[in-house]
Amino acid sequence: MIRSVACAALVLLVSPLVAAPPDFDKQIAPVLASRCLDCHSGSKPKGKLDLSHKAGASAAIVAGKPANSALWERVAAGEMPPKKPLSEAERKLLKEWIESGAKWGSDPIDPFRFTTSTRAGYDWWALQPIKRPPVPVSREPKASDPANPIDKFVVAKLSDKGLSLSPEADRRTLIRRVYFDLIGLPPTPNEVDAFVKDKAPDAYETVVDKLLASPHHGERWARHWLDVVRYGETDGFERNTPRQNSWHYRDWVIRAINADMPYDEFARLQLAGDVLKPNDPDAVKATGFLVAGVHNTVLGNDQMRAVARQDELEDIVGGVGQTFLGLTANCARCHDHKFDPISQTDFYRLASALGGVGFGERAIPEAKASVEIAKLAKELEAVAKELAALEEPARKAVLAEKGMGKVAADTPSPVAAWDFRKSGDDLIGKLHTRAVGGAKFTADGATLDGKTGLFRTPAMSFDLNTKTLEAWVKLDTLTQRGGGVISVQTPDGATFDAIVFGENEPARWMAGSNGFVRYKSFGGTEEKDAAKEHTHFAITYSADGTITGYRNGEPYGKGYASKGLVAFKAEKAVVVFGCRHEPAGGNKMLAGTVSIARLYDKALSLEEVRASFKSSGGFVTDVELTAKLTAEQRTTRTAIRKQHDAIARQLGTLTQRTTSTKAYANVPLPPGVTRFLARGDLATPGAVIAPAGLAAVTGPKADFELKPDAPDVDRRRELAKWIAAPNNPLFSRVIVNRVWHYHFGVGIVETPNDLGFNGGRPSHPELLDWLASEFASCKYSLKALHKLIVTSATYRQASAPRKEASAIDADNRLLWRYKPHRLEGEAVRDAMLSVSGLLNVEVGGKGFSDYKIRDFNGTAYFDPFDPIGPEFHRRSVYRFTPRGANQGLLDTLDCPDPAAAAPRRATTTTPLQALSLWNNGFALRAADAFAVRVAKDAEGAGNQVRRAWQLAYQRDPTADEAKLTTKLVTDHGLKALCRVLFNSNEFVTVE
Amino acid sequence: MLPTRRDVLRSTLPLGAMAALHQFAGAKPDHAPKAKRAIQISLVGGMSHIDSFDHRPELTKRHGKPLGNDTKPDVFFGQVGLLRKPDWEFKQRGKSGLWVSELFPRIATVADELTVINSMTADSANHTPALFVQNSGFQFNGYPALGSWLSYGLGSEADDLPAFVVLPDGRGEANGAASNWSNGFLPAQHQGVVFRGGDSPVRDLFPEKAIPAGEEKDSRATLEKLNQMHLERSGSEGALAARMQSYALAAKMQLAVPAVADLSKEPAKLKTQYGFDDPKTADCGKRCLLARRLLEKGVRFVQVYSGGPIAGSPRMSWDAHENVKENHGAEAARIDQPIAALLQDLKQKDMLKDTLVIFTTEFGRTPFAQSAGNVVGTGRDHNKYGFSCWLAGAGCKPGVAFGATDEIGWKVAEHPVAWYDFHATVLHLLGIDHEKLTYYHNGIKRRLTNVHGEVVKGVLS
Repeated sequence: MIRSVACAALVLLVSPLVAAPPDFDKQIAPVLASRCLDCHSGSKPKGKLDLSHKAGASAAIVAGKPANSALWERVAAGEMPPKKPLSEAERKLLKEWIESGAKWGSDPIDPFRFTTSTRAGYDWWALQPIKRPPVPVSREPKASDPANPIDKFVVAKLSDKGLSLSPEADRRTLIRRVYFDLIGLPPTPNEVDAFVKDKAPDAYETVVDKLLASPHHGERWARHWLDVVRYGETDGFERNTPRQNSWHYRDWVIRAINADMPYDEFARLQLAGDVLKPNDPDAVKATGFLVAGVHNTVLGNDQMRAVARQDELEDIVGGVGQTFLGLTANCARCHDHKFDPISQTDFYRLASALGGVGFGERAIPEAKASVEIAKLAKELEAVAKELAALEEPARKAVLAEKGMGKVAADTPSPVAAWDFRKSGDDLIGKLHTRAVGGAKFTADGATLDGKTGLFRTPAMSFDLNTKTLEAWVKLDTLTQRGGGVISVQTPDGATFDAIVFGENEPARWMAGSNGFVRYKSFGGTEEKDAAKEHTHFAITYSADGTITGYRNGEPYGKGYASKGLVAFKAEKAVVVFGCRHEPAGGNKMLAGTVSIARLYDKALSLEEVRASFKSSGGFVTDVELTAKLTAEQRTTRTAIRKQHDAIARQLGTLTQRTTSTKAYANVPLPPGVTRFLARGDLATPGAVIAPAGLAAVTGPKADFELKPDAPDVDRRRELAKWIAAPNNPLFSRVIVNRVWHYHFGVGIVETPNDLGFNGGRPSHPELLDWLASEFASCKYSLKALHKLIVTSATYRQASAPRKEASAIDADNRLLWRYKPHRLEGEAVRDAMLSVSGLLNVEVGGKGFSDYKIRDFNGTAYFDPFDPIGPEFHRRSVYRFTPRGANQGLLDTLDCPDPAAAAPRRATTTTPLQALSLWNNGFALRAADAFAVRVAKDAEGAGNQVRRAWQLAYQRDPTADEAKLTTKLVTDHGLKALCRVLFNSNEFVTVE
Repeated sequence: MLPTRRDVLRSTLPLGAMAALHQFAGAKPDHAPKAKRAIQISLVGGMSHIDSFDHRPELTKRHGKPLGNDTKPDVFFGQVGLLRKPDWEFKQRGKSGLWVSELFPRIATVADELTVINSMTADSANHTPALFVQNSGFQFNGYPALGSWLSYGLGSEADDLPAFVVLPDGRGEANGAASNWSNGFLPAQHQGVVFRGGDSPVRDLFPEKAIPAGEEKDSRATLEKLNQMHLERSGSEGALAARMQSYALAAKMQLAVPAVADLSKEPAKLKTQYGFDDPKTADCGKRCLLARRLLEKGVRFVQVYSGGPIAGSPRMSWDAHENVKENHGAEAARIDQPIAALLQDLKQKDMLKDTLVIFTTEFGRTPFAQSAGNVVGTGRDHNKYGFSCWLAGAGCKPGVAFGATDEIGWKVAEHPVAWYDFHATVLHLLGIDHEKLTYYHNGIKRRLTNVHGEVVKGVLS
């Protein structure tokens, strides 16, 4: 058993120490810490007895007199600890210590100081510095001894038990093994043949080099990494919204692995790529790691939001800690870690370091274009100023005539405006509205019944790209969910941008759009007044796709980058009021009254929105303005406007192009103040916590020397530096163990995400440290590590069981053979595609989906189906991977739901799996394609059987096999045989 | 003994698994179980306790009055209207005198079988996280459901049916879909298996296009022989033999699943009792009868949903924000008769003595209306502070109500029961100590009840 590996402290504990009184720090404190302090410490110690420090403990201890010490009385009576009494040795120690004067040591007790029988301390093996161990020397060296240092370590352990390595596997088995392992696909018959015949001493090394250089290597090993980081392509929770652009991260992982990016760089970019290389598109994509997990978008009231954010941070801290450090720091959110030396404060330090992580899409930077954009924006600003200077006197004059002299000078000019208190007419142009259904004009404005009522304009006579929607509205209820105030839509309502109330989040304003494609929460406050008074709301749509909301002239929550602007074409767009988009009905209808509304052909600035809000109607129409200008001024104005529009168009095109590529990645938030939360509860906030690492990790300094209010960039830069520090012992140990795990099916530590107390103990601790040290000295090259491992004799062993070895080491922990294993679900699917000739080997890019995505009122449902066509016959790593969906075939083959990290996969064998491989539509279709391919390649049942064997098994059939299956082919055709082969043990097993 | 840590670690090793639906079938429970199997009726959207099982006469008295001096409640939509009396009359039922409202007139006829818990509390008042907690004890995606834990802990009594079967509402799956019956980090065979209508009640039970019987038979025989030859060559690897066995079990399932799903041979009278003849009750009635048949055949846990997706209008769940009377009236009319029939049927078949029936909802509803502060609106908002669920059958104290909310049904006043207590109680009734049913995942020995949970002794017989 893993747990039976004795810890140093325990050994000390039971060693007889003649005459000397027990040492408090080494012998007594660990007992108190592991057996008493869970209850008897903290702010409310049980029985008001705090044993964590001398003053508190003195209440229960009378030095020299155990019989008078309450502590000893209760222990001796077997009452304490209540669940599991102390061992005889522990009791003896405690008594001796009190008898000898109860001398106290470090005060207060540091419960993390030493590893005990129940938890890990600072002296825990995985936290200690890596010292490169010497490679063992064979006791009886032979010329045939393998030269690879890995083998020396493995053989040394085997010899201790009188065991030895198995002989090398035959060439066909070996090439099949290493192909599946390094690229996840089977070798072709020709590749097998060439390798079997290659007599060069380095024939195997040549194959390994070729595979490591293959673009498919990145696809294979990226899938492993995506398991670890719980990469999923939907949000999870109620809406489970698909993340259409998260694949950029998946592709980045594939490329980074193919390029053999040093692992320290690989880690740093995922933690802080956007900070370290803000103008490097790849570095920004890498931060998809931080937001690979679930994200709740339905949050209710402010308190629920705050709790959800704490939950989210716990998940992020968990992901970062387990992935790179093999520590479950997330367990310390509500209390000190029960098993590892991670305090609750440590958790909040990490949470503080990651406090700026935000979920969303961001534009991928393009350095050249951003310079150009900045230049054009500057030009545009200058022209706009020129225009304003020309128009200002005329505007002021008009306003003065209208008796609105107080209207701010920068009140913007709309392209259409309505004052429904007077009529439905457009005060600027020709977009006069007409009432439909239960809509009517009242003295208060355009009154909408929330059922059938809406107002519609005729088609617009102008193009509308950048724009601002603005309205003053009073709502009938604040509980309504989804009514549109003002909406610009195509006449059929299929494309629209609208001011919408309460649809996605109760009582909050949002920018509605077709299929939510341009929707994100503004994160604005709950609306409380709009049912009492007319409330102003405006949404601006900028050229770069940014959408910003304003309420009563002030920013509403935060603007966000959308997928880009919609271009509404002249004659192909109308404005509707009171309906999110047509056709009318359901929750799209607004119950309320719109008094004033305006439409602009540009995204107003904050100042302009403010001015417009203040003026509430004091705008100047184009006709009025023109009338006040001289003929010469009019000509100049036309010229400037032309110039203005030209620049704006250019800018729009450029920004649209550069921002149309979005990646789901970290979108930093202001990190805010991180506080220690007693029991993890927001209701009991404690001290402010500065970002920092974990004190228990030896090597890099955990103190980042940052203030609690440090900006996000500093926090994550320092965190990345600390995690990937060359002297962080966990950093290399965790990854070399992970890599080993995937090559052999079991890690040197069998729990790759947990090198703490609850995890496994290393089967070969020296080998683990040697590998970690070698890995660091090879500049963190993963490919070098792979090559080192797969060229070892340990890896190249045959897989056949050996009785005498099984009897000693049934689990093969000492590696006396290569343990056969079933292929993962993705590899089974990919192998079927490859063998049947259907595989589309296209590398990278947006993936494919074998789910039909059904949107039901903003919630996504995923119905599996079997799509046909080369774009769907790509490797499984390119499959769309929603959370909480079930694809059938792959799920029964243990593909994990990306809702949680899967550092190692289960391998189950179930009837449902058998049914699925035997009957699933895709599996049968692939078998049919396999049959077609074989029929094309060979003639006659005998030859066809041989060809099928070569493709599926990379060998020729035996005489018995040929006889058996030739009959099946003769009776029922090749497709029956191909189905059988895909279901056979040999096909799905790597030996 | 429950699966040990060693078994669990081994179960995740390559080819280490047994070929069975139920890795731990036949494992002995911790203590003598009262229940051998369980069925859960899961009401999605939040059923109003004060309109159904929690009789609060004071609420009726204070109808139209404000909630009072309490700090403003943090309800989902933030609207706190005036107190609203129940829309249905409460009556004492049966010999026990248990209070059940006219919302459930048929269930009321079996009130003497029910153990109502009126003091439930939830961690979240947000549908999906709350439903996740009800199912798995955690608000996040990715944790094993109660049914998966039972499958892991007890297995199934049948080797040709899954241990955990899910029967979603005919109108659609609840939000979160398969996340609600996920095996999480437990091995895949513990996932809830959805039974649907039609000839292939379980996905991939048969090929979409039928394969001629002769071809099917010969193909199977060839597969078996090829695997046998391979097995001999590769040194009789246990896992390879297990894989062969899984194909034999699959063939058994192909017979067992359509047989259990075929309701046609059930007596016409019974089908009428279950509500087959009325379009309102037919969906739930069919699923309840199927559930009984599954339990009879040895399935460990069946989950029957009442309510589909949350959003949309008209509503398809119990989420009565707009109008409790309309919404709950319509939803109850779909399930009242079938559930009453299920209880009677189980009793009649003498199965109720060792079958646990669980009737749950993710949270309750507020005693005040969801409307402006000076109005008695017609709807009610979410309430996580107090609500009702009930148990019936094996090991439960029948005809009693346990715990209480305050006098208007707003917050729990006596014996609060959190979901982890509820889960601990359900496991206890099935013979499992909730602290011992663990599975190692990423540094933690995970439990259904996390680090909490106490068996609610007051509901045990």
